[in-house]
Amino acid sequence: MASFLFHLGKYVILMWRVFSKPEKLSIYRRRLFDEMVSLGLDSLGIIMVISIFMGAVITIQTSANLDSALIPAYTIGFTTRQSTILEFSPTIMALILAGKVGSNIASEIGTMRVTEQIDALEIMGVNSAAFLILPKIAAAVLLNPFLTLISMFVSIGGGYVVAMMTDIVTVADYVYGIQLDFKPFHVTYAMVKTVVFAFLITSIPAYQGYYASGSALEVGKASTRGVVQSSIIILIANYIITQLLLI
Amino acid sequence: MIEVKNLSKSFGEKTVLEDISVVFEAGKTNLIIGASGSGKSTLARCLIGLVAPDSGEVLYDGRDFLKMDINEKQELRTEVGFLFQGSALFDFMTVEQNVRFPLDMFTKMTLKEKQQRVDQVLERVELSHANKLYPAELSGGMKKRVGIARAISPKPKYLFCDEPNSGLDPQTSIVIDNLIHEITVENEMTTVVITHDMNSVIEIGEYILFIHQGHKAWEGNNHDILRTENKEVLDFVYASEFMKKARE
Repeated sequence: MASFLFHLGKYVILMWRVFSKPEKLSIYRRRLFDEMVSLGLDSLGIIMVISIFMGAVITIQTSANLDSALIPAYTIGFTTRQSTILEFSPTIMALILAGKVGSNIASEIGTMRVTEQIDALEIMGVNSAAFLILPKIAAAVLLNPFLTLISMFVSIGGGYVVAMMTDIVTVADYVYGIQLDFKPFHVTYAMVKTVVFAFLITSIPAYQGYYASGSALEVGKASTRGVVQSSIIILIANYIITQLLLI
Repeated sequence: MIEVKNLSKSFGEKTVLEDISVVFEAGKTNLIIGASGSGKSTLARCLIGLVAPDSGEVLYDGRDFLKMDINEKQELRTEVGFLFQGSALFDFMTVEQNVRFPLDMFTKMTLKEKQQRVDQVLERVELSHANKLYPAELSGGMKKRVGIARAISPKPKYLFCDEPNSGLDPQTSIVIDNLIHEITVENEMTTVVITHDMNSVIEIGEYILFIHQGHKAWEGNNHDILRTENKEVLDFVYASEFMKKARE
């Protein structure tokens, strides 16, 4: 418990430094665009591949579990849409990005720590925490909602492809199902989750990397800790946000 | 000028520095020497605020660094250049971007003025041809020279060099030593070099502080050190059998 409070306090202090006034906005703006490419656009490929198969599998599994004649076929489209918007696109994508982006951030910042690049920034008078971490958090918070939206469309598209290529549901039923009883608030709820998760999958690995010490081995351990901790905290945050917004 | 008064530092029970007082004059190459673990790197880190000392004063031209608030410290650090043992160049930037970085962050120079300054310092360290390369593409000596170029690009008043010759061959070491010395004289900087390289001591040691087990054991210059009878200094300078025989 004492260790948890120690790290929580250290994390809060680090975030306080991260969100302090930047020395020169033009430099931060340039770094923000670099990070948007590195953390956001470079993740687009994996997001699309996973999303299309995710939508396809949800459609097939839903169909496989609906064996009652009383349940209409359009339920398959409805379930695919609801599962995708409410849970799979925001949460599963966040967990995948926690692995991809989180390990990248922790190892990048950790390597900068052990090779004294962070000390070099500090000696120059640069707020190293803000310079290194703020553009990453901002890039993820700004771009991840778009990634989630793309994931939603592609995932539902994956179900559509299954409807076209198999006879488990007709295209007409699937399309009717994905339009049925649509609540725009569910997308808002997914966006709220995405923004919170984007903050977690960048700030937690950044914290681990920033306080890495010693050798390359320690950087690897910090990277693993960053991914594991951000994944667990995403699941906890997912529960809390769901309880607050959907009930 | 940097003046250190009664500086002490402990890590837990272990005293690393005890009551160190020293003056590093401007326009001189000041060396801090001592065996590994003697406390010389800790002293340098205390001087620039990477490690907080337990007691004492560090005066930069009369300004007490340890009594400054965080903003004043950050402002003073813009007057400090530091060459790290491993160069600490930013991996994601080219040589040119590394050297321009302090100018981008802390000056209001135009792009043209910054480019002129970058070209000037890269020419000074004889690396004009390498401006578009990344640190991973450079040799150890080139990295040190880029580190020096980055440290001096904003025309600092104070320059710290931590083991500038580590990992370099003797010839390249002399090139780096001479470069540091010449830049110090040209720019009237207060330069502090942490080293245990005896070639550096003999080549550029205008002022030498010898630290032994956290204490100031001796001070002098590169001529005095060859004639001293101080036992700790003799053990350090004439560590090898060859040097002992040469002295005899």
